[in-house]
Amino acid sequence: MKLSRRKFLGSAAAGTAIAAAMAHSMPAIAGDTVAVGSLHDLTGSLDAFGVPSHMCMKFAIEEINAAGGLLGKKIDLKTYDGQSDIKKFPQYAQQAALNDKVVMLQGAITGASREATRPVLRRYKVPFVYGTIYEGGLCEDNAISVNTGSDQQAVPLLEWSFRNLGKKVFYIGADYNAPRNIGIWNNAIAKREGGETVGEEYYPLDVTDFSTAISKIQAAKPDFLHSCLVGGPHMSFYRQWAAAGMLKKIPIVSVVFGGGQEHMILTPEESDGVIAAYNYFQELDTPENKAFIKRFEASVGADHPYINGIAIGGYNGPMLWAEAVKKAGSFDRDDVMAALAQNIEWTGPGGKMILDGKTHSTQQDVRIIQVKNRVWSLLETKSQIPPYDFNGRCNLLENPKNVDILNPQV
Amino acid sequence: MDQTIVLLIAIANNIALLTLISLGLAIIFGMMRVINFAHGEFIMLGGYATVLSANHGINLWIAMLVVAPLTVGLIGFVVERLIIRPLYGQIITTMLATWGLSIFLIGAVTTIFGNTVLGVSAPLGNITIGVYSVSIYQLVLIAITAALVGACLFVLNRTRWGLIARGTVQNPTMASAIGIDPTRVYAMTFMAGAALSGLAGGLLAPLSGVIPQMGAAYIARAFVTVISGGSAMVIGTLSAAGILGPTVAILSYAATPVIGEAALLLLAIGLLRVLPRGISGLWQGGR
Repeated sequence: MKLSRRKFLGSAAAGTAIAAAMAHSMPAIAGDTVAVGSLHDLTGSLDAFGVPSHMCMKFAIEEINAAGGLLGKKIDLKTYDGQSDIKKFPQYAQQAALNDKVVMLQGAITGASREATRPVLRRYKVPFVYGTIYEGGLCEDNAISVNTGSDQQAVPLLEWSFRNLGKKVFYIGADYNAPRNIGIWNNAIAKREGGETVGEEYYPLDVTDFSTAISKIQAAKPDFLHSCLVGGPHMSFYRQWAAAGMLKKIPIVSVVFGGGQEHMILTPEESDGVIAAYNYFQELDTPENKAFIKRFEASVGADHPYINGIAIGGYNGPMLWAEAVKKAGSFDRDDVMAALAQNIEWTGPGGKMILDGKTHSTQQDVRIIQVKNRVWSLLETKSQIPPYDFNGRCNLLENPKNVDILNPQV
Repeated sequence: MDQTIVLLIAIANNIALLTLISLGLAIIFGMMRVINFAHGEFIMLGGYATVLSANHGINLWIAMLVVAPLTVGLIGFVVERLIIRPLYGQIITTMLATWGLSIFLIGAVTTIFGNTVLGVSAPLGNITIGVYSVSIYQLVLIAITAALVGACLFVLNRTRWGLIARGTVQNPTMASAIGIDPTRVYAMTFMAGAALSGLAGGLLAPLSGVIPQMGAAYIARAFVTVISGGSAMVIGTLSAAGILGPTVAILSYAATPVIGEAALLLLAIGLLRVLPRGISGLWQGGR
């Protein structure tokens, strides 16, 4: 067959038209929605963390949809209940990726569930958004951390404490990796601020009797107590500390107190005066936050769990991811992750946030807050704390293959 | 000087805690040879009974000392009737059944009261010893435990009821031949053991708060104490607590709490290797 120029142009035009028609018909085939997954512990022993985070995430998706969706598509939130059971996490992650074809999944709050979920999502190229405060060290091209690493809370809190409370610190923590990492920071900052660690103790998570701990602390006579005690059994410490009359004598600072709603569960006599550091607390008095709480309560009602520094990650995560999707103009994992190199910026209820392209972690304000009568009030705002890059060891622009969790060397 | 006093209090506190959480188990195991895996949950239920009734306006002392043992005693009555009695004499089956009961109780409490920590503040304030201050409630707890041990010994050794109970345990056939109904004695014993566990939970609630899974924190230590104590229920448990408690306290104080907890297990293993019948195997006969 002899191919004339006219014929060629004609068939090429027709081909383009067909291709264009097909391209247009694609969304119709896939529907006008795109799926996003929420994988939180909604039942079981960790529901106190999972439920508020999921509520915030659901609300974020509602808001994105109310504003017209993303790239012209509505977002369909698929909810999976991790049931506080590690086995469920890889199963649901796989279901989300293969069956429900989610373009992003957020959740897996505990370190153990995160580590179970992360490799599955990596394999199927589904971006993983990690919304909680944690020990730090997540440095993977397929993952983004939208909350604070422990250093982002602990360093400002300890600097503030050494300047305002005194030079001698006693550190008491639960015995697993996050509190031990924070212990490393505790000692590094003590040294840097000319302070001294007069004691360091780690307790297994099921310990409920802290009488020896309390006499040890009393013997060491610290100016303040740095606590990283975690979970229900460890709340006993605060009860016994208050019962021994210590709450009014030695101030407590913590990067986890309040994260498990300790301030609501303990009585004011057991918790008044405790100082914490988070990116966010519900009482935060800024126009952005007031407006956020108003919209949130219009959606879920006023009788919702307290929104603490962990739960807010459920809202911030989808919002930051949505910014990256808009920048990329695509839901594709590689496009979205490439867009992160431009340092995505977004202002949320907790203020300005910058998702750093090198570490996939987030620069944000950190607030030193104090509880009285179950209400937190602001002591000081530490503006725009950048994520720690592990002395240059975390650089996903140069080394995108890293998937290892990094440990601080300070 | 004040440091020594505080350390002594910590030691006494550890002995009292071990004794308190083990007494109910010791009575049930020692008298009936029933390995009650739901023992931790009996403690948990006592804690809930205390916290809930105190939060509903009942005086905290009544909630701890009356409501908690009464509630769990009644639950013990029902449990004995439905689960323990039909399986009596089958140690393994009873163990499995009470394990099932333990899972059921955790689930039921989680469903009804939610999976969150509840609590009441410890009463009585604190006293100052030199640079230290100690919760008065902690001292009262030690005193109450001592009184409980005394009461158990008195009931078992000096009352008619104790005589009947001990006689029935030694020889149920003989006991029934002289007109004592062993079934009833077992029911009463199980109830008493459950009530003691409930009381322990009630007394611990202001210190530890309550959560459906809290039993797990106690059951291992309770079993270790009871088994190390051997067949003399009360004195055996007390002497096991008297050896294990100070070891944990001193090692937690001098080294780390992890070493303290590990030492508890190592010491118990060592004790049982040397004294396979428990500490009370040394003298036997006493209760």
